[in-house]
Amino acid sequence: MQNKRRERIDRGIKVRTDGLYAISSFKEIMYLVFPRLLLIGGFLLLPIVLELAPYWKRVINILCVYAIIAISFDFLANFVGLVCLGGGLFVGVGGYFSAILNSYLKIPIFFSIPLSALLGGIFCTLLFLPCLKLRGVYFAIVTLMYPLLFTRIIEALNILGGTNGITGLDSFPNQHIENYLIILILLIILFGLRRLVNEDIGLVMRAVKDNDQSVKASGINVTYIKSIAVFIASFIGCLSGAYLAHLYMWAGLSLFSLDFSILPIAAVTVGGGGSIVGAVVGSLILVPLSEFLRFFGTFRIVIYSLILVLFLVLKSEGIMIYLTRKYHQFERWVDV
Amino acid sequence: MLEVTNLMVFYENMLAINNVTLTAKKGSIVGVFGSNSAGKSTLMYSISGIILDIKKKEAMKGGERITVFGKVIFDSKDITNLLPHERAKMGIVLCPERRRIFPESSVLENLKIGAYLDKRNEKKNLEYVLNIFPRLKDHLNRQGGFLSGGEQQMLAIGRALMASPSVLLLDEPLLGLSPYYQKIVVDSIKDIKATKNITVIVAEQYARPIIPVIDYGYIIENGSSVLEGTSESLLNNPDVKSAYFGV
Repeated sequence: MQNKRRERIDRGIKVRTDGLYAISSFKEIMYLVFPRLLLIGGFLLLPIVLELAPYWKRVINILCVYAIIAISFDFLANFVGLVCLGGGLFVGVGGYFSAILNSYLKIPIFFSIPLSALLGGIFCTLLFLPCLKLRGVYFAIVTLMYPLLFTRIIEALNILGGTNGITGLDSFPNQHIENYLIILILLIILFGLRRLVNEDIGLVMRAVKDNDQSVKASGINVTYIKSIAVFIASFIGCLSGAYLAHLYMWAGLSLFSLDFSILPIAAVTVGGGGSIVGAVVGSLILVPLSEFLRFFGTFRIVIYSLILVLFLVLKSEGIMIYLTRKYHQFERWVDV
Repeated sequence: MLEVTNLMVFYENMLAINNVTLTAKKGSIVGVFGSNSAGKSTLMYSISGIILDIKKKEAMKGGERITVFGKVIFDSKDITNLLPHERAKMGIVLCPERRRIFPESSVLENLKIGAYLDKRNEKKNLEYVLNIFPRLKDHLNRQGGFLSGGEQQMLAIGRALMASPSVLLLDEPLLGLSPYYQKIVVDSIKDIKATKNITVIVAEQYARPIIPVIDYGYIIENGSSVLEGTSESLLNNPDVKSAYFGV
């Protein structure tokens, strides 16, 4: 009996386009660029396509916010090795900063968003500095505790508007700016981070994830590298938080909610960790899904959880990793 | 008696083991020699069944596809598709490369974990292990991770012995050991065979200390078995001499 096995082979075009000759033909340029164009074009067309469904245009904003937080989680977890459940903290800190800047100090909206992202990034990095030594589940627990801590502080001391939150933030001039601002931010962060993790500092970060002792032995300050990574991640998170506060025209305790910590993790797991695009793809699936399921009332969470479980059990590698493989490789049966 | 017939293992498209056939008679010492990347560890994983576990994990995370062909037969039963824990229950116990002891458990606890499959003979086995490795006796309550490399290797072999194996697979038992410790380990292999009548399969790069004690040996290069023979025939083979003894 002749044994047969399934063989995976890189497509010829992949082998060729990986090299210098990618510019030699239109087909090969498209092979490299098409997936990226699809994503960019798709996102840019989304508000136009949904022009007739104003409710879903709001969903796009939320989707992008979740995607950005998921990217920040994916970056920290799979490229630096810090499992950070602080999505809620980033959103809350960013939101409150922009509320203070815009509502109290009357700084215009397009300055308050970047400024609060910067301040929030510094603030969160300082908070995390003492626990950068921690690894794995210990770091996760600390980062999970911070949002709860801030919720209770604001509640108990009745500062920053207390349980009512800060109201009276400026809204965006019109809905197109609202849509396209967050889409552009998402795309810039997505491609920027993908570039960053392949730069020198990205290599060092991945090395820290694999084996921080060897990195120390190479004469690199691990805490410094980690704090840079945490700053980048919290900057991104705070940016989306500031945007969200302006979208709701309100910064309240619900910005610290656990949703912002947990849902991005689910998105990364569904989309495939370690690819950054996976976080976006995961959010593209999970956020609309959760909106669709509102139709089912209280059963929503049940169906949502079941779908999530099915995803994880059947395709635990993540959709994006699976698709990338199918795109670059084909399979055939060969004789052994 | 353990038989491996026409074993082929692919890591994705790379052929790690090519048509290897190996026989280990009951109560003999079989040596598998080869340089790095020859396929020794893969062979060990295939015999102990760990390869099925690695295969599953790789498939889960979308990594390399591992394909295994051929048969592993133990006591005239086909165990090719048995999971590692089922093979361990049948008596095929692996002492893995780089020891893989439990660094935060004490030496005694490490040995007790090994005895999980054969609680009845725990005392007898413990006595035997401490008898062949007297150095472990002084460190019984020490954390495994704080032992020296040589002591960790003894502990790893001891832990495997606590399961009362009938086939003991040693993957690179001499890795990073000084000649003194190498001698202790090689002596223990001889003793295990002589007193317990356990089949031992040793995969090793350093052939010089091991070849004199084996009954039958295989030389593996790039996944294929290129030479086999008894201890004397390997010792006197000019190719082996030049490649492994530097003569």
